[in-house]
Parts: sequence; structure tokens; C-alpha cells
Amino acid sequence: MSWSRAEVQALATRAARGAGAPAAQAVHFGRAAALHLARGRPASEVSQALAALPEGPVLRLPLALQRLRRAGGGDEIDTGGLPDLARSYVETLGMPLTIREVSPDALIVSPTKTAPLPDPGRITGCEALIAEMTELAAHTLVPESDVSRQAGAGAGVTDTD
Amino acid sequence: MKDLVTPPQMPLRPTGTVMRLARMGAMFPTRLSFLRTLLRRLARERVEVVRPVWSICAQGYGHAVYTLSLGGHRYSLVAVATALPEAARTDRVIAEAWDTAYVLYDGVPDAGEIARICATAPRQEAARFTERDLVLSRANKSVRLFDHVVGSLRAGRQPDPAEVQKTGYLMRTTAVYGNGKFGIADRAAIAARPGLSGPFMAEMLTVWLIRHFTHDLAEHMGGGTLDPAIKRHLGIGNATGLGMAPFLVTHPVLLNNWMAARETALARVRAVPALEAEQVAQLTALATRAAGHLAEWQVPDTAHQARIDQLRSAWAGVASRITPEMCAAPRPLDRLFRAAATGGPDLEELTVALLLEPFGALVDDLAEGMADPFDPPPEQTTHTDKLRARLETAFAWALGRDYDTPEHCRRFWYVSAAKQEPRLGDRFAEPGAALESPLDVARRVAALHAALPDKRTPVLEFLDAHPEHLFAVERVEMAAAYPYAEIRDNLIAADCLPIDLLRCKLSFFGAAKFDPKSDLWTRITLFQGAPLAEEVATRRDHGWLPVLQA
Repeated sequence: MSWSRAEVQALATRAARGAGAPAAQAVHFGRAAALHLARGRPASEVSQALAALPEGPVLRLPLALQRLRRAGGGDEIDTGGLPDLARSYVETLGMPLTIREVSPDALIVSPTKTAPLPDPGRITGCEALIAEMTELAAHTLVPESDVSRQAGAGAGVTDTD
Repeated sequence: MKDLVTPPQMPLRPTGTVMRLARMGAMFPTRLSFLRTLLRRLARERVEVVRPVWSICAQGYGHAVYTLSLGGHRYSLVAVATALPEAARTDRVIAEAWDTAYVLYDGVPDAGEIARICATAPRQEAARFTERDLVLSRANKSVRLFDHVVGSLRAGRQPDPAEVQKTGYLMRTTAVYGNGKFGIADRAAIAARPGLSGPFMAEMLTVWLIRHFTHDLAEHMGGGTLDPAIKRHLGIGNATGLGMAPFLVTHPVLLNNWMAARETALARVRAVPALEAEQVAQLTALATRAAGHLAEWQVPDTAHQARIDQLRSAWAGVASRITPEMCAAPRPLDRLFRAAATGGPDLEELTVALLLEPFGALVDDLAEGMADPFDPPPEQTTHTDKLRARLETAFAWALGRDYDTPEHCRRFWYVSAAKQEPRLGDRFAEPGAALESPLDVARRVAALHAALPDKRTPVLEFLDAHPEHLFAVERVEMAAAYPYAEIRDNLIAADCLPIDLLRCKLSFFGAAKFDPKSDLWTRITLFQGAPLAEEVATRRDHGWLPVLQA
């Protein structure tokens, strides 16, 4: 089975929220996770990042991007032990950057004139992670009740006009 | 060679005026609306729609395929019609069966692909789709009108124009899914393609083809041919609920680009120094047509009908101002606009739509800037004092209220476990507020403001200690670069009307005949009066606020 990037991004965002990430950090994680998986990088790093919530790389890496942008694209990034996911975060900026892994905990990022990598295609081969994220995302859903059903848009009308 | 000179323009309307919910809830379709952009493209390319497959039984069930070429690519609509028990017919997201289902396919499907789509499309969200599937949709019959049209054709006569006018469509779409939903292609796959690069172009193309299918289906079942004027007035209905509302909050750059294009267009036409006789005649004709459209626009909701009635009356005053004398004065359109602006949002926004209509040469290029390309990110603030200054400038409207009081926080947006239907709850009467969706931008920015330290501090140091404020920091930083990105109202206030968000977005689609069923959802009509497939290359009138002339 294959997934679109957009649906994985939306799912990863909700999963991060379900696991306790603040709203903006969840959005950044969703973008990075979808790009990460589309590039065929290890699903295990996405899973580890989610498991570390409500602390860990999902909270720290968006701030590292803020720092990187303020530094004009040149900085050392603390990967929190997830170098490929950190690389994916950096690549979501869409900036021409050279990224070098100096250790599992650090990336050196510097500006370059080389164009960013082309947009990757669809996502395959991560069924277990999709299932895990679906379960976490479910924590953001409000259980159905008669009251909420009746308050939903479209309730209580005849549709055969 | 393209003229790169920017036309003169008047000042843009202030964001504090334009970005209010009540104003957004008064918007009308314009020539910059997405379906109009699509129709111009279809006309320019002289697109021809062919129907290579028609496998529909006498009862109207089966499938059909339509194909066309656009921008050097082939696309096909696969339409699947099935029997739907009356008890299962509902427009809500929580529905599980529909009269018809559709896929806009990338290319021309072979028999295997058609069979796959026939098996999956009727299941909608319960099925999985592929990267060849660009858009997924479904539609239910307007049973009363559909039966009337088919019955009339069977009896050898045309449908009653009054009935056609009353409903305006044979079917209503209840969802039009794009951008990767349920496994369909990502928007990125088509975003650079000529003809589909603008926002929602693939979705608009799908809906236009669905309309064509509904006409064919009724004629097939009725055994007759509809009069072109009646057929043209049969658009496509749509039922839209809260699912559409969060989009404008979660896509602030896109919202900015849409609004900025429309406001720039208005500023350009207001700067037109003088009108030619043909333009005056066109404006007069369009104002008369708008009056006819308002007369046709009847809704059951008494409050909304009262607004329409008031607008009808006020519109007569605007139309009467379009005289040779007025048009001979300097900057006549600006004068007309300023006169209308004293009459309230409904009158002003209808006037905006009117003023743009005859001036395609002046404004149509702005449609090219309405997508959301990878613009450079907004400038970041280094220290909290600068962040505070920016916040107090751009978000003054969000400050100074107590978000703990029921009037300012009664509503909460959430997603229901029931088919992930977006809903709006009462914080003080319903469970679930702890799982609230982050649409409370005003409250979050106010909380950031309260949390900012008195002492000048690096923003990163502040965020290290308070990561929960990153959302608000990013919204504030965005505001300087994208002035129309933010809806300047509190979306969790007790008096927030989601219907205003819906109307704003739907007007950008090109919707008309808004028919609110509550504060939470509305029915609308798309492509009513628009060219039929067989005349899209030749018919110049693209159906702005159409009137049935049967």
C-alpha cells in the first residue's frame, strides 16, 4: 500500500498532538515526518520521536530550525539522537543547505548554492508506523455522543429537497 | 511580450475592515473566483469534452467516463451512479452511501482502472485510492427537481423554469476531496501543470464535469433533450459544513494571497480614470442582472432572507447611480464604490464583485498569484521587545478581552470520533474541550502577550522556556509579511458564526445562492449559468450571478 504525503503529514501532525505536542510543534513534526518517510528514511526515528513526547526532539527541533534561520542557514543542530529525522526537519525549510552528520547527535548545516533535493514521491512500507500514528491520532478525537451528533453541521434537516 | 507595468491603483482597503468575520460572511463570487479562472482557461484552450464510456441503465445506474485535454495533459472523470435507499440519503460527512461517486483520473483509464474506480469510489472514505486519482467526490440527487426534470422529459416537455430556478441543480456534492486524501495524488503532483496550478483547479474541473454528467443522466433517463438555457441554469449544488472552516485558519498564507488578489483588483478598478461607453453599458447590464439574481435568491432562513431583501432594496440605489453623468466624472468606479460602502457589508461586497466583472484585462492576471508557492518565510524577530511591538501592532484586535469569560470562550472546535467530522462544541455544556483544535488564534496570541517578559530577552530563549507559545510567535511573525493572513475575530467567542468562514471560502470558489441551514452549514450553487461543455470555447458569458432566461 502507498500513502500520499499530505495524508501522512496530516496523520503525523495529529499523532504528535495526540502524544502531547503543542500545536505548532505538531505541525512541524507532521511536515518533517512526511518528508522523512517519503525519502525512505527510517520509520523508527519517527516512532522514537513520538515516544519521547511530551518532551524530546519534537519540541526541540522546531526551535533548532528557528535558530538556524536566524543564523542565515549555518549552525550545528542537536539531533537528540535522531540524525535522519533532524535532517528531514532541516529539509522542510526548502533552503539550499549542505547538511553533514558529524555524530548521531549533531548535524552541521551550512548554506550552499546547490538546489534543495527534488520533491519526493509517495510513501510506502511503513504500515506499522501508520498504525501507531493512527492510534495516537485517535487521542485527539472527541467521542461521539447524542448531543454532539445533534450539534453537528447538517443535523436535523431533510435532504431530499 | 507581456506588459509588466503594474496598473495604477487606489490604496487597499484596511485589513481591519476586510478581515472581519461579518465582512467575510458577506462576500460574493467575482471573476477571480476559482471556477471563473478555470472557465477562462477551458475557453482559451478550446477544450473539448468527450464521453468514451456510457454504461448507464434505464434506471440511471452504472458508470460513465468523460475525458478532456488541458494544458497538455489528459484527464478523465469517472462517474458511478448507484441505487441509494431513501433512509440513507444525507449530506452529512457521517453518511456512508450516496447516489453518485466520482474520481477525476490522471489520464484515460483502461477497463481495469475503470473497474477499480467503480468498486472503490462509492465507498469514498472507506476505500483507498492511488496517485492516478486526483480528486474524489460524491453527490446526492436533489430528488424533487431531479424527478421533475426526468418526468418532464419523459412527458415530452421541458421542466418548469420556476422549479429549475427554485433549486438550481440536479445534484449536490457533499465532499470534494483533493490533495492526497485517502491515498489520492498529492497536490504537489499537479501543482506545476498548466491549467491546474491555481488553487482548487482540479476540484473545480471535477465539479464542472460532474455537472455535465448530471445533465446527461437526466436526459438519458428522461429520453429527451433539455433546452440549453434551462440546462445552463442547472449548476451543481453543494452542502458545506464545518469541515471547510478550519482551512482558512490553518492556511494563512493562502488566505492572504486570495484576499490580497481581490483587494488589489478592487484597488485597480477604483483607480480607473474614466469609462468608455461600452464599459458603462456593461456595468449597467450587469447591475440589472444582479438585481434579477437577487430576486431569484430565496432562502427558507428568515434572518438570511431579511438580509437578501434589504440588499435587493439597497441594490436598486447602486444601480441607479450608474448613469452617463456619473460615469463621465473622474474615477467613476471609485465614486460608485464609496457610495456603496456606506450601505453596509452586503451592499459593499456585491458592489466589489460588480466592479471587477467588466475589467478582466485589468485584474485577471492577479489570479496567478493566488496559489501558495514556496514564498520565503516571514522575517523573524530576534528579541521579545520587537516581538511585542509587532504583536501589539498586528494583533491589537485580539488583546484587551478576558478569554476566561464565557462570552469570549464559549465555543470550542473539535473533531468527532464519528468519521472525524469537525464540530463546534459549547465549552460549558459539552465534554471534549480538552481535545480542542487549535483555531483559537486570538486567545493564543493574547496569552503570548501576557507571557512576554518585561526584560528584553532573545525570542529563542523565551521559547526554550515556553515552547507552548511557538504557535503564537509564528502567527505574529507572519503578520508583517502577510497582512491578510489572519481573521480578525475571536473564533471561540459565543457569538462567532462559522457560516461567515464558509461563505468567504465558498465565494472564492465561485459559489452563489448561499442558503444557510444553520450557523454551521450552508447549501450553495456552483457553475449555475456557466457555459456547458459544448459551448465552453465559444460562450463569453461565464455566468456571474446568473438569471434564468428560459
